[in-house]
Amino acid sequence: MDRQAPSRDVTPDSAFGFDGNWKDFAKIALPNQMLTILTLGIYRFWATARERRYLWAHSRFVDERLEWSGTGRELFIGFLLAAAVILLPLFGLNLLIQSLTLRGEEALAGWLTFVLFLGVYYFTGLARFRGLRYRLSRTHWRGIRGGSDDQGLGYGVSYTWKSFVGYLPLGLLVPWSMTSLWNERIGKMSFGPHRFEAHAASGNLFARFLLFYLLPIVLVVGLTVAAFAGYGIDQARGGEAIPDLGITGMLILAFFVWFFVLGLVAAAFYAKYYREVVGATEWADLNFAFEASTMDWIRLYLGDFLLVVATLGIGFTFVKYRHWKFFMTHMEAGGEILLDNLTQSTTRVAGHGEGLLDAFDIGAV
Amino acid sequence: MRSISAPSDPMRDPLLIEASWYDGRSAVRHEGEAVWEGGPALVLRNGDDRFDIPFSDLAYGERRGQTDVYRLASNPGFRLSLPHVLPPDLAARMPARSDYGAWVDKLGFGKAALIFAVVSASLAALFLTAPTWLGPRIPMSWERRIGDAMVGDLGGRLCHTPAGDAALAKLLGKVDPAGQAVRAGVFNADMVNAAALPGGQVLVFDGLIQQAESPEELAGVLGHEVGHVHERHVMTAMLRQFGLSILLSGANSGIGDTVFGLASMTYSRDAEREADEYARARMAQSDVSPIGAASFFERIGGRGGKEPEKPASDEGSMFDWVASHPAPGERARAYRAAVDADATYRPALTDREFAALKSMCADDPDVEEFDLF
Ligand SMILES: [Zn+2]
Repeated sequence: MDRQAPSRDVTPDSAFGFDGNWKDFAKIALPNQMLTILTLGIYRFWATARERRYLWAHSRFVDERLEWSGTGRELFIGFLLAAAVILLPLFGLNLLIQSLTLRGEEALAGWLTFVLFLGVYYFTGLARFRGLRYRLSRTHWRGIRGGSDDQGLGYGVSYTWKSFVGYLPLGLLVPWSMTSLWNERIGKMSFGPHRFEAHAASGNLFARFLLFYLLPIVLVVGLTVAAFAGYGIDQARGGEAIPDLGITGMLILAFFVWFFVLGLVAAAFYAKYYREVVGATEWADLNFAFEASTMDWIRLYLGDFLLVVATLGIGFTFVKYRHWKFFMTHMEAGGEILLDNLTQSTTRVAGHGEGLLDAFDIGAV
Repeated sequence: MRSISAPSDPMRDPLLIEASWYDGRSAVRHEGEAVWEGGPALVLRNGDDRFDIPFSDLAYGERRGQTDVYRLASNPGFRLSLPHVLPPDLAARMPARSDYGAWVDKLGFGKAALIFAVVSASLAALFLTAPTWLGPRIPMSWERRIGDAMVGDLGGRLCHTPAGDAALAKLLGKVDPAGQAVRAGVFNADMVNAAALPGGQVLVFDGLIQQAESPEELAGVLGHEVGHVHERHVMTAMLRQFGLSILLSGANSGIGDTVFGLASMTYSRDAEREADEYARARMAQSDVSPIGAASFFERIGGRGGKEPEKPASDEGSMFDWVASHPAPGERARAYRAAVDADATYRPALTDREFAALKSMCADDPDVEEFDLF
């Protein structure tokens, strides 16, 4: 007899939660770091699995915790596969290009360089897809997992051409390529028997993107004017008497303004981007939301920066903890889940980990 | 609190333990008891429903507060939650808890860390020393095949004239009297550089020949590169770079590091000194004065003391693999110290031969110009 009602109402402010704490995480992460160093990096696959197990186990969705069922061994095998199938050929191609250049076959070398370039884009797209698929297939909730029956080969092609089209008109279509790739990627994933659906629109992002896009130009003009003003101050003071003070001061100021303002605007864009794409994502009768504001993002990255600097790099291992917590605490969902209808996923499970993703160094947690 | 009843004889009085599980087919949670009667299976009971779970099918999942989660090998979605503290005889039948991963769990953290440290240190030592003893043992014919595959005929960029070729052959004979498997060529590029390529091919760049004021200067440079070939430094450097890239592939995951790390191969300082020693010994054998080489390095060292044979214009090209040399001042002193007051030195080339070498690239109508893109 089931003591629980077979459906769950999802109220927006309690759908996701995180109750880990960094001291417990440190007990996992610091020994991991030591073993990783002592094994010349090989333990990092098992380290990743342990850390994810902790993070998932302390993440709650509605009334049950998540569970990470991936293993270090499969991540390791995935890495070896990616190395054999992708890295060695790419490395060989690179050698071939060098050799052709030396033999005077510059035209052929140029073409192959282009192929290499396309190849890196293609595999980056494929890796993002496979990484997401792998993570969903190893995420269990109430015994049910996610996945995808798509191999991601087509997504690799989309990723390549949409990225290029995005950059083509002076980069103005980048928001379109980002949202359209999100829709395509998420739309091929499922959890249990239900597909995800995403219909994010780039129009809502465009204003923020223009800010991000035009600001450097405004800054360059503004700072140039300011620099000339500084030069003018020098001249007015008699030029030689206090050399460099105006210009050097202005340059240092310009440097900080540049990174500070650009960082701020980038945070504003990404905050909007995630609000848009997550908000446009649905699964069964649920809709999602991501409530992080621009200030939340700035606090996240400022915190990362201070953490890494203050610990001379040792704290880097906590960055993934902070990001996962950020993700879980700002994720929201509303709607209803019928537990009886939430049956096991029939997608096939890839036997190996996100090796391809790992090889290209893309990854959230 | 979860209740556990622990009877004295498990064969007569079954153990009843509060349990909850997901069946792996739907997200509905089941609550009931796990019953153990001392046999090879746990019985899960939920009202009238009951089914067996053989211990051999159970796998440890993870700890969740006061409970442990177990999985089933035969049903990947199945999850069974039992209290963390179980009666000892049942606990002995349950699969072992795991934390770090199989090996580390078996050995314990401290012992595993120690073993890993020892293995890694020996591996690192092996990888760092292997090239030095393995390099010279790799047959020259293999190296030649690798070299041909990598650079071929250099795209017709070697200068040839009958008189120039003859002069180069004579000079090579002075620094390679045994006439071993070294090929020398003048490379049509306006850089002060020389290189030993895989496969025993030595290149002197035309830019360096134009800089040279006497054939003895060229003999020093050529002898040095021939020295790299004879001492098998090229193979050693290639192996070291290869080994390093394998060693680091565990630690770094970006393809960029691996691919571009290979393109930055250099010789060790010891190798450079050995190559110079080889050059001086052969020059002494052939009565070629080391003063020319000394003044060449002095002249180049005078221009700011920068490494003369490392071209600035072709960074990342293959020539960076094979040409990086110690400070010229130091080398000039070593060549000067090699002057033997009792020896009678003879010119390495006649004036006519030296001139033929100098005009070799200008006089060759077929040679290709070197430029990267
Ligand atoms: Zn050298």
